[in-house]
Amino acid sequence: MAHRIVGQPIGKLEGIGKVSGQARYSGDVTLPGLVWGKALRSPLPHARIVRIDTSRARALPGVLAFLTAQDLPDILVGRRMFDMPMLARDRVRFVGEKVAVVAAADPDIAEEALALIDVEYEDLSAVFDPVDAIKAGAPVLHENPAAYEGAPAERPHPNVQSVLRFKLGDVEAGFGQADRIFEHTFRTQLDHQGYLEPHAGVVAIDDDGRIQVWASNKMPFRLKELLSHALKRPPEQIRVNLTPIGGDFGGKGSLMDLPLAYHLARVTGRPVKMLMRYAEELMAGNPRHPSVITMRTGVTRDGRIIARLVKALFNSGAYAAFKPAPSVNLGGTAMGAGVYRIPNLLIEAFCVYSNNIPCGHARSPGEPQMVFAGESHMDMIARELGMDPADLRRKNLLRDGDHLANGHHLEHVRASDTLEAALKASHYAEPKPGPWIGRGMAMTHRHIGVGFTNARVRLETSGAVTLSIALPDTGTGAHLVLRQVVAEVLGVTLDEVEIEVANTDDFETDSGVGGSRVTHTGGRAAYHAAEKLKQQIESEASKHGIPAGALAEIARAAAKDGRTLEASHFYDAKAHADVTSFTAQVAEVAIDPATGQVTVRHFTTAHDVGTIINPIGHQGQIEGGLIQGLGFALIEEMKTEDGRISTLSLGDFKLPTIQDIPPLTTVILQGQVGPGPFNAKAIGEGSISAVAPAIANAVADACGVRILDLPITAEKVYFALREKVAR
Amino acid sequence: MIRLTVNGTVHELEVPAYRTLLDCLRYDLGLTGSKEGCGVGVCGACTVLLDGKMISSCIALAAFADGRSVTTVEGLAQDERLHPVQQAFVDAGGFQCGICTPGQVVSAKALLDANPNPTEAEIKEWMVGNLCRCTGYYKIVESIRSAAQRSRA
Amino acid sequence: MNDFDYRSPRSLDEALAILGEYGEDARVVAGGTALVTMMRQRLVQPRCLVSLRDVQGLGRIEANGGLRLGALVTHRDAEVSPLVRERIPVLAETFRRVATVRIRHMATIGGALAHGDPNQDPPVTLLALGATVNIRSARAAREVPLTEFFRDYYETALEPGELVTAVTVPAPPAGSGAAFLKFLPRTADDYATVAAAAIVTLERDGVRCREARIALGSVGVTALRATSAEALLGGEPLGESLLQAAGEAAKTAVDPLTDHRGSAAYKREMTAVMVGRVLGQAWEAARRSAQARP
Repeated sequence: MAHRIVGQPIGKLEGIGKVSGQARYSGDVTLPGLVWGKALRSPLPHARIVRIDTSRARALPGVLAFLTAQDLPDILVGRRMFDMPMLARDRVRFVGEKVAVVAAADPDIAEEALALIDVEYEDLSAVFDPVDAIKAGAPVLHENPAAYEGAPAERPHPNVQSVLRFKLGDVEAGFGQADRIFEHTFRTQLDHQGYLEPHAGVVAIDDDGRIQVWASNKMPFRLKELLSHALKRPPEQIRVNLTPIGGDFGGKGSLMDLPLAYHLARVTGRPVKMLMRYAEELMAGNPRHPSVITMRTGVTRDGRIIARLVKALFNSGAYAAFKPAPSVNLGGTAMGAGVYRIPNLLIEAFCVYSNNIPCGHARSPGEPQMVFAGESHMDMIARELGMDPADLRRKNLLRDGDHLANGHHLEHVRASDTLEAALKASHYAEPKPGPWIGRGMAMTHRHIGVGFTNARVRLETSGAVTLSIALPDTGTGAHLVLRQVVAEVLGVTLDEVEIEVANTDDFETDSGVGGSRVTHTGGRAAYHAAEKLKQQIESEASKHGIPAGALAEIARAAAKDGRTLEASHFYDAKAHADVTSFTAQVAEVAIDPATGQVTVRHFTTAHDVGTIINPIGHQGQIEGGLIQGLGFALIEEMKTEDGRISTLSLGDFKLPTIQDIPPLTTVILQGQVGPGPFNAKAIGEGSISAVAPAIANAVADACGVRILDLPITAEKVYFALREKVAR
Repeated sequence: MIRLTVNGTVHELEVPAYRTLLDCLRYDLGLTGSKEGCGVGVCGACTVLLDGKMISSCIALAAFADGRSVTTVEGLAQDERLHPVQQAFVDAGGFQCGICTPGQVVSAKALLDANPNPTEAEIKEWMVGNLCRCTGYYKIVESIRSAAQRSRA
Repeated sequence: MNDFDYRSPRSLDEALAILGEYGEDARVVAGGTALVTMMRQRLVQPRCLVSLRDVQGLGRIEANGGLRLGALVTHRDAEVSPLVRERIPVLAETFRRVATVRIRHMATIGGALAHGDPNQDPPVTLLALGATVNIRSARAAREVPLTEFFRDYYETALEPGELVTAVTVPAPPAGSGAAFLKFLPRTADDYATVAAAAIVTLERDGVRCREARIALGSVGVTALRATSAEALLGGEPLGESLLQAAGEAAKTAVDPLTDHRGSAAYKREMTAVMVGRVLGQAWEAARRSAQARP
């Protein structure tokens, strides 16, 4: 079906404030009398707090308030499992944990005050590696995790936060039928989401005693609930005001400093702003979980996968508080099965406590880790079997009617089409242009997110349409997509639809941004609200005998009768649709054998998509995710030494730059089926996960060296090459 | 007392010696377009022009700009009309979350002032100090190429 | 940052007088890229900051046989200066590889030398070129060869009350060729894993090496000369095995630290690779330059 506005490559009109510096992010919010909060952080990974002496700091002019755990109610915070104190009480469990907080008239005075606080600690023995953490006799981080609110019941070791299992068939029986069994272990690194806006928040208690919040948080309604829980104040006493968010990628869903900003606002009687410095983000944000993943796969002689056992250890750090899923684990773990039909499957994922930075969600949580392991493993198996890696995949790809271990049922499966498209576009089968050049492929798929969104559409007497929505703008272009949907339904121009960003007083609830859901849930809410408004407009028009296109006239006629033409819709997608989106990627790399340096000469990414509502925004999601995947593959690593992050700035923890991006070919396989408005599907998390294994497989193809741990540095390739020559 | 000319307006200010130019712009002058990202001069979110040359305002003291002229992102649009570079970023999708964008457009404007017809390699060399985590940079390159073309047309 | 007195003298003498007054409690700031960053991280907390930004006469690039670059010349000035590009192109190319354009607009040559960071690029090429540092105090002026200027990790020959006023770079010998390489295996904007510069001067025959100077960065507590490698080259014609031997010899000159840019072992290996490559390029440039000679 042809559309007027849906599918048009409309520029990012929602961002005129962003290019002109007028957009107000939460860190830009200022209020009369505003003061600054700053947190003192633990320098030790595991210690008892003996004494905190704030007398020197209190004497500093400009300091307004000090708080330690003794000044706060004994409440633990979290997103699903509530195990983290707002300020450390008696004991610190990671380097960077907050132990005191200060409010001062300016941020430099607040920092000066922190330097004058004397804390006496008594070291406790610590554990850093997840494998060590679940051994008998390992230092225990939390005496009784089961007692925490939201704690899962299963706990084979006191340092296990959660266990997540996915199961199909009988894995042991499956291995019994296998002709050959392969087992490999992979490791992935600690990695920050890399958003360039550190966490920011402003909390003010207004004249009516209500708590006003501006925060870089993508789930305003969940934030309201969590704050209500943390502050023991009724939710209706809290209003979250939406601001644009300076990059999320999964990392902006927690309370972070907001409870402390509230308590400082309470004791000072002033609005309080807390901005994390980037160094604080790197020591105490909520980065991507590092992992140790063992894959064991049984295949038949002709290359059919008959059984797979996956064991994943996620090094979750000192607290489980940042994980939002009911499982308190990472849903991406299900991708241990890859894009393959595996009749006998067992995936077990353990999130483990250790004296490291607590980890959280990062773009497609758990998936880049699992897909790196799974897709590297596939190539290693193909090599052992003497098969082309493409043929091994072809033999095992998912098909219509298949069931996944997480319960999803699949139809409209385009795994094979997507793979073939990527192979063709990348000239995978053609001779390589020279020595030390290799090609590698990898695949993944991602379901479309679920959740719930409220939308309200109103016809103004000017004839313009206002879409009111409480989904914050994280940069994905969702607000423009929603305007396009409304304009399409109502038959008006894009300019005639304005977006009004609501706050948490304006709607009952909303699941917020995340999990590749917004085009789906927000789009459907806006679509149905617009459909309802359209009916109202039509009936109003016929009532007054006005042509249905004369919107201003219709609205004014209704206004004369004391009515506003307005419609709302609450869309709640509880169950996953039986459709997913496949990705196939091919990397072509060159290796410098003298240094081990890997250069990505070309990258091909193919996506099975639904109706594309805005091609510019859609392609932006593909490109952005892909380069994050490239950073994960080759560049990014938060290094730790005994729990202490040694890469504490963007000078040491490097992100890809504009000079690091490879030539890119994107292949779009346009499909007709999707759960979003106009049959749209998801794209936000489709391009990140397969990049690292595609590159790892290309490196192996180029020089015969298999890198099992990320990132794939020149140094690792160099020494592996030397070892290979020595053999 | 320091005297700054910001986007053509002269300001005389009494600020502590430790005030960075970025904090001075954001908190003393209310120009919050320039952002603090990394805080160590690497990411470019705080890029402004000092006497026409781009610098990192997060690691410059406000006093460094005493008697000089500062251009921030707020100073690019003329009479409510976006600068061609800003318009090109909108049209080509050269940003997403927008936190790095003020720095990107200020840097891109400085590039086109110095080199109205840059090659792709020149664009990348000039812009290497402006990190963007959202776009993967392809559309930033495209935005700048298109701004250059428009300026020539 | 903590509070401090900010002074911005108009002349060098005034600046030196303030330095004399505050002694070790004062720090000199020019571009501020290193010092302000360290102050923000509270690693340095001076009582007085003496800004050289308004001091006249320190921002010139002059030809004096070779080149004399004033302390306030920015990295970007040096990179784009027609005089530098014409007289010593390898120096302009080296400055071009430092950080990003934005930082090069701020960072000054004097500031970079005084910072004494072994991971910087310009000291490497300046060492190979045989540069000297011009230093002033309230009492005296002195000139220190760069080989003696860098003492230890972030430690230089500067005494309290002294500051760098210029760096003097002799003209490269006639018939010489030079090259600079910055090995960046992670990303385009980073400190080097290994940086290497070489200047090769050929005999009249245009084949054999008369003299070679090799300098390295990021592989020790200071930028350093690889004299053991240089010694192998005199009188020899260029060849793959010679480059390899020089690279191997350079490994004995370095003592790298393990950091985020590579392990000590890897940096040592890469020293050999980069020395071989930079020598090869400098040699090729020398050959072209010898051919161009009448």
